[in-house]
Amino acid sequence: MAGRERDKEQKGHKGRLRIGWGIAFFFAFLQVILTLSPFVFMVLNSFRKQFDMLSQGVFHLPEPWIFTNYTEVIRNGFFGYFLRSVIVVAVSLLLMLAIASMAAYPLSRMQFRLRPLIYAGIVAMMSVPMHVTLIPIFKMTTDVGLYDTLGALIGPYVTFALPMAVFILTAFMMTIPRELEESAQIDGCNRYQNFSKIILPLSKSGLSTLAIYNGVSMWNEFAFANTLIQSPGNKTLPLALGQFKGEHSLDIPLILAVLTLSALPMIILFIIFQDKLVKGMMAGAVKG
Amino acid sequence: MKKRLLSAVLAVVTAGALLAGCGASGTGSGGSGEAAPAEAGAETAETSGKATDGKNLPRLTEAPLTIKLWDIATESPTKDIQEDAVQRFMKDYPNITVEQTHMQNDNYKQQLVVAMSSGQAPDMYMHWGGGPMAEYYRSGFVNDLTELYNTYDHPAFIDAAAAQASYDGKLLAIPYGGLSGCGIFYNKTIFENVGIDKAPETIDELEKVCQTLKDAGYTPFSLANASQWTGSMYYMYLVARHSGNDEFNAAYMQENGGSFTSEAFIWASDKIQDWVKKGYFPDGVNSLSTDDGQDRQLLYDNTCAMMLQGSWQCRSIATDNKEWYEANIGVMPFPKDAEAEAKGVPQNVEVGTAIGNGFSFNCWKSDGSVDQEKLEACYVLATQYYNDDIYNKKQMENATIPSIEGFADQVDDPNMKTFADVFFNASNVQLWYDQYLPASVTEVHKHCMTELFGLEKDGKQIGEEEDAAMKAALADR
Amino acid sequence: MSGERTGTGGLARERARSTAGAAAFFLAPALLLIAIFIIYPVIETFDISLYKWNGISSDRIFIGLQNWKSLIRDALFWKSFLHNLIVMAFSILIQIPIGMLLATFLDAGGRKLNIFKIIWFLPNLMSSVAIAFLFTYALATNGGIISSLATLFKGTRTNVDLLGQNPNALLTIIAVMAWQFTPFYMVYFIAGYGNIDVSLYEAAVIDGATRGQYVRRVAIPLLAPIFRTACTMSLIGSLKYFDLIWNMTQGGPVNGTELMATYMYKLSFQQFNMGYGSCAAAGMFILITAIALLFQKIFTWKGDY
Repeated sequence: MAGRERDKEQKGHKGRLRIGWGIAFFFAFLQVILTLSPFVFMVLNSFRKQFDMLSQGVFHLPEPWIFTNYTEVIRNGFFGYFLRSVIVVAVSLLLMLAIASMAAYPLSRMQFRLRPLIYAGIVAMMSVPMHVTLIPIFKMTTDVGLYDTLGALIGPYVTFALPMAVFILTAFMMTIPRELEESAQIDGCNRYQNFSKIILPLSKSGLSTLAIYNGVSMWNEFAFANTLIQSPGNKTLPLALGQFKGEHSLDIPLILAVLTLSALPMIILFIIFQDKLVKGMMAGAVKG
Repeated sequence: MKKRLLSAVLAVVTAGALLAGCGASGTGSGGSGEAAPAEAGAETAETSGKATDGKNLPRLTEAPLTIKLWDIATESPTKDIQEDAVQRFMKDYPNITVEQTHMQNDNYKQQLVVAMSSGQAPDMYMHWGGGPMAEYYRSGFVNDLTELYNTYDHPAFIDAAAAQASYDGKLLAIPYGGLSGCGIFYNKTIFENVGIDKAPETIDELEKVCQTLKDAGYTPFSLANASQWTGSMYYMYLVARHSGNDEFNAAYMQENGGSFTSEAFIWASDKIQDWVKKGYFPDGVNSLSTDDGQDRQLLYDNTCAMMLQGSWQCRSIATDNKEWYEANIGVMPFPKDAEAEAKGVPQNVEVGTAIGNGFSFNCWKSDGSVDQEKLEACYVLATQYYNDDIYNKKQMENATIPSIEGFADQVDDPNMKTFADVFFNASNVQLWYDQYLPASVTEVHKHCMTELFGLEKDGKQIGEEEDAAMKAALADR
Repeated sequence: MSGERTGTGGLARERARSTAGAAAFFLAPALLLIAIFIIYPVIETFDISLYKWNGISSDRIFIGLQNWKSLIRDALFWKSFLHNLIVMAFSILIQIPIGMLLATFLDAGGRKLNIFKIIWFLPNLMSSVAIAFLFTYALATNGGIISSLATLFKGTRTNVDLLGQNPNALLTIIAVMAWQFTPFYMVYFIAGYGNIDVSLYEAAVIDGATRGQYVRRVAIPLLAPIFRTACTMSLIGSLKYFDLIWNMTQGGPVNGTELMATYMYKLSFQQFNMGYGSCAAAGMFILITAIALLFQKIFTWKGDY
């Protein structure tokens, strides 16, 4: 976009620029191979039988192509798992982003006595290994009767994403120019309006980064789900894997089919929303 | 733990069972000798009478009762077989509800810890015996079943199974998952191609076979030792062949000169390292993972000709490709140590699990006394619905041999038959070290297996490490 | 100006109070949740660390600081910590610069490079289970990618043992982690670039700056806080890492990839040593927090709030 116009203005750089882009594209394609190949292996191997995969080697193309893995996965209630995951992730993510942005606002833009302490506390909370919370959270969940419901997952999911989200959003909000807020204040906005009308829209790129990052980790979360959910009718996608694993038996292509199907919605969502990442701020800032 | 006591107790237990009039001696027809004779014409074939009819069993309560049950049967057909047992039980006892939950195997031990520490432990739960069972028992999550077992009917479990379900002279679990032995899988076609016409019977012969295979360009053994318990199978078997149970039991107690550096352990370690040096194992043996099927992979692509593994691999390989399995795979028992045999060391101490999966019961009243009603219900469920004829028949169809007298004769698959013959005739079945040892020692033992196969430490060094861990675990108790 | 101010009194004090009130309002939900789900378990962890307890039994024995004394002398714990530090150093040195480079490339190229962005981000969308499986095969000693490449270059069959040997295993894991997490930092920096006011770029162009000059002189300084949080995240993430290691090596071979988190997990949930495991967890928490706060302290720019 802007790069092209500049090229015209600065013809002297053109040759050097072209070489620069050439090198950049070389590495870009290298990175494509690096990131794509394991992914391709996952997809290809999900179309094979275990014996073929093991005897021909994992790098061999499927021969023959087998689709039964996918039909079997779907037949075993994949969509139920899928739907429950969607619900849990959507609710947790929205709650988390709302709560995190609220918390980041005073930490980034207000002066109060406890601020350094709370900020340090947030950093400390990021350092907590999740496994120490398993037993206490399991106890609390059974005590309040949420055990084995989707609701049991929302609290932990929201809370464990919070410290990092607050931390990141605070950094993002700090980059928002102070003048914007001050001019709004002159226009008669109070803090609450400032937050919802200025800060929140301008934090879109930070929020979408967080949505992607936490969306993916909630989508793949296993430990809490496995501890807090018991009946098959309440299980989320990462637990679906267990459905296809026995004590000594593991049908790897089938597992890969589950994993491919699980990753697919995330990929589609990312393709749809990735553009927002770049646009996020650019549009908003000029208006402000 | 106190293994020496065990045989004595078992004798008592078995005798008790016989006195109680259960047909534990086995009728040859079904192994679970007390199987109810079908009540002629009473009901249709499928549901002919209760499995418990005409048996000496406790009268179960008629008040409503709920049993929380945990197992790891996440996958069909195992899952269906076990759910069916529970369904049949609930049909016969409509006042009793069994909440059966299939937990994931991967994190099962963690799940139990979480539930037990939160006072939410299930009433009846699966485990693999060994060190963890002892730990659950010492922590008050296991009911002592000795008296029930002596009083009432039960399947005629083979001695090895009952032994592995016992600890400290008490029977603590009811086996239900069938027997899993350890044996050498070999590729018949490759053996034929290189001119080996007879499975080796002694370790010396085995070594000759290895050399022949090696010379023909094959790697003799497939081994995925990233999982460590896989390499441990070689170590355990060599120790067992060289010294029976004596040296391991002595090392386990760390008494009377018992040590993991005693002769058999050093001998086993030297043997393994010799084989590693001769190239009898694949390159990067410590990087291969059996969970990802990398040991089977080396069999399937004809890199390797043999694999020492658990009997469940029959099912795994057959599931992967039945034709290939039937055309190529044979099983032989671990060969004998001729020298040791000459000195009188029994060559029928085998390595594996006879308990398979066992159920322990955790039935207590709020005042801490035994909840007898619930316990008896659990007992009946585990011994008469799990482990009954219908259940066992399905288990057999699923290539699982119940650890019950008489079942060795009913196996069709020739490889499973080999396993059955070996393990039903064993003088003792040594449970896998990694399940038998206390958990902290298991961790050390597994590391030792990596170091042994990686030639990083010799038999004496790993033995000393295992001794230190064992001493620490004993002192901790 | 602001509608919430009523009453009389010292203007400054009043303002401070209303600020405190607003801050409390905004922070309350987050702090409440954190108190319930994180702080309370952490307190329990510290409490349990004072007991000898197998994690399930009803009797636990109070032993004071005994566990802590053992932990300080526990070679394996410190070895795990060292591994964490190595992972941390490499993660920061590999993931963040590469992520930054990729983001700069994408930012300069604009929308027509979106396909790169999508493909590059794929690793971050996969679960650790899948990644662990794929890489155990891709890196297999027999017939894996690296072994095949080595065979190709050397001409003779060469088997490279990456996961079964130390220190190869740890380095391999670091590479796989870089593969998994670099895309996240890429997206993070893209968002950072997106947050820079476009007028700044226009102004730079008018002043005759090249793209490179813009990135160096305008963008990077503006990205400083984003950069610092990225490092902090990578630092904390590496110090408490668990997932991929657990799925790939379980800390092996022979503790070669043992991290504090895997060590703590094994003690607590597999070896019936919850008391000591909690102590390791608490120790881990203290170490990570100290390092993270120290890092924050050292790299605080003057202009920060």
